[in-house]
Amino acid sequence: MTADPAHDPATGAAPDAAPRRADGLGVHALRRRFGPHVALRDVDARLPEGSITTIFGPNGAGKSTLLKILAGSLRPTEGSVTWRGDALDPRAAEWRARIGVLSHETHLYAPLGARENLAFHTRMHGLEKPDLDAALARVDLLDRADDRVADFSRGMRQRLALARTLLHDPDVVLLDEPFTGLDSHASRLLEGVLRTLRDGRRTVVLITHALSEGLALADHVLVLVRGRVAFEASADGIDPDGFAERYHGLVDAADVPGVAP
Amino acid sequence: MKARTGWLGITLAVLGAMASVGTLWMVFFWVPTERTMGVVQRIFYIHVPSAWVAFLAFGIVAVASGVYLWLGDERADMAAQAAAEGGLLFTVIVLTTGPLWGKIAWGTYWTWEPRLTLTLILGFIYVGYMMVRSAAASPEQGKRFAAVVGIVGALFIPLIHMSVYWFRGLHPDPVILNPEGPTADWEIQATLYAGLLAFTLLFLGLMTLRYGVERARHVLELREAA
Amino acid sequence: MTGPGWLSVVTAVAGKDLRIEFRTRSRSLTMAGFVVLVGVLFNFSIDQALVRPQDIASGLTWITLILSGLIGVGRTFAIEKEDGALAGLLLTPAPRDAIYVGKVLANFLLVYAIVLLTIGVFGLFFRLDYGNHPGALLGILAAGTLGFVALATLFGALTASTTLGESLLPILLFPLLVPMVVYGASASGRLLAGRPVAEVAGQGRMLAAFAVLAVGAGAALFGQIVEE
Repeated sequence: MTADPAHDPATGAAPDAAPRRADGLGVHALRRRFGPHVALRDVDARLPEGSITTIFGPNGAGKSTLLKILAGSLRPTEGSVTWRGDALDPRAAEWRARIGVLSHETHLYAPLGARENLAFHTRMHGLEKPDLDAALARVDLLDRADDRVADFSRGMRQRLALARTLLHDPDVVLLDEPFTGLDSHASRLLEGVLRTLRDGRRTVVLITHALSEGLALADHVLVLVRGRVAFEASADGIDPDGFAERYHGLVDAADVPGVAP
Repeated sequence: MKARTGWLGITLAVLGAMASVGTLWMVFFWVPTERTMGVVQRIFYIHVPSAWVAFLAFGIVAVASGVYLWLGDERADMAAQAAAEGGLLFTVIVLTTGPLWGKIAWGTYWTWEPRLTLTLILGFIYVGYMMVRSAAASPEQGKRFAAVVGIVGALFIPLIHMSVYWFRGLHPDPVILNPEGPTADWEIQATLYAGLLAFTLLFLGLMTLRYGVERARHVLELREAA
Repeated sequence: MTGPGWLSVVTAVAGKDLRIEFRTRSRSLTMAGFVVLVGVLFNFSIDQALVRPQDIASGLTWITLILSGLIGVGRTFAIEKEDGALAGLLLTPAPRDAIYVGKVLANFLLVYAIVLLTIGVFGLFFRLDYGNHPGALLGILAAGTLGFVALATLFGALTASTTLGESLLPILLFPLLVPMVVYGASASGRLLAGRPVAEVAGQGRMLAAFAVLAVGAGAALFGQIVEE
């Protein structure tokens, strides 16, 4: 469990709610099969509220599957998800209104302009009058606001996707390999924006296999290997240099000859 | 549980097979030849029960598909799949026996007789149902896709039925015929009912056995996954 | 959190699709070209010593509607699948049925515009007389187009997620189009032959029932199709 009492005043939550805040997102005996293949095997984990949880793991460890279940786009075969200790149906519209998802797919319409994409997203969330200029400025795209996404580079698209993810001010931000294929400008900008999300109010789940970037941002660390939780700890006690060795040890230990990492 | 569906399936199938043999005996040795249509009319004792089973099966597919989508119960999907495969088999029987009869009675293998047309379309829906199941990206998606095709198909069957009847009204067939019409003797009716019973039992037996196979595969998959 | 209004989602999705179509013109140009070329080929396929083009124009119009509509509607979800746009749409609280109805609306406007073009081109090529009841003819075609588009959008979403892709679409779609072709071709044929509107009222009602059933089934089941 990570300790983050320092951030509490931001939400104005009642004092007696404070202990429950630490519950955040919980998954319990979560299991997901794809035919005979098991992506998640009885995963139990806490993703504490108001902090960034980084999930590491090799390809095929079930990271994306877990994130998709939290985002409500995939049903678990068995098990349940809780929010603040209460049962949660991630497929409910109320939950989708509270989450922001960023993946390596940008979810953008290439023939539309940057501002048009955001405006469309606004309508899908039923937002009253969002400040699209501020959202574009945040990702350094204000000067390209009316250009079509089709003409954007990969980094620019991902920045716009980030703006779209945060446009409706989500409480829960789910990020699936957001650094993949980014140039250094976009990568730094993304990192900067992610740091601003550590306002104690937002629960962030970050999936990556970039160890140093992921660890630098994390409050809480989870390692998934072959569909199981292999490691779970607060980031405070983790030594970055020792962690890489530890991580590779976990991955190798679970590796069966003939199975690609 | 599995053993129970196995025994139920075998019992139904054996009863169905016995009833079918009985029906065949009635068809060939007992029932008198229909006066106006002659000996070829005997094919109806196969044709009509098959058509009944084909549509019964599709009803089961639609209901089981609905249950699967609503409750997510894998068993409903297995039942739907089992019913669809049996249903397609009997659809093929209808579409083979129909033209055989038509060639002799009407002098042509194919006419747009509404019931035959409807069965043909039903067959196409079954084929689509099978294809989406196997062509989907994941098995789970395949089950949902198949269920949607089954439900939409069942919703449209009445409208298709009305339209092909209405279409025939515009283009009358050379012979209007009604196998259960006033000329039917009691022997003819009895043979037809025997056929209906036999084929229904046979279908339910096949469906239950197929369901058992699917169920066993599912259990095996779970065990493999564990 | 109020969430998006149902109608607001419908208009936003339809507006977005039409705007993309207006910019790229990828579907409308292909469909328009298809319709004109089909008209040319139909013209050469008719031996005018045996049949008059007017006699078969009605049926040809409906077949052209179906084939050109397949080109148009089959593409909608290809566009949505690029860069996971549809997946992103489904992560928002927008109701699934509203997304579906929005897409049906956009596809309807696109396909109906092509139907109007077909009417114009066939009228010119085959010297058809629309003088009697053009309104009734347009209404019949609108109902048929709506039913077609509603089913094609539902099954288009489905086939876009299969390994067979768009080639599977006709197999699922065509069997269900029998009522549309039966009632539609009969109604438009009679109107083209100068018969009174009252004579096609029944067909019109059946086409309307077809459209309502298709839209209702699609709206209810679309969520099951797009889920991963």
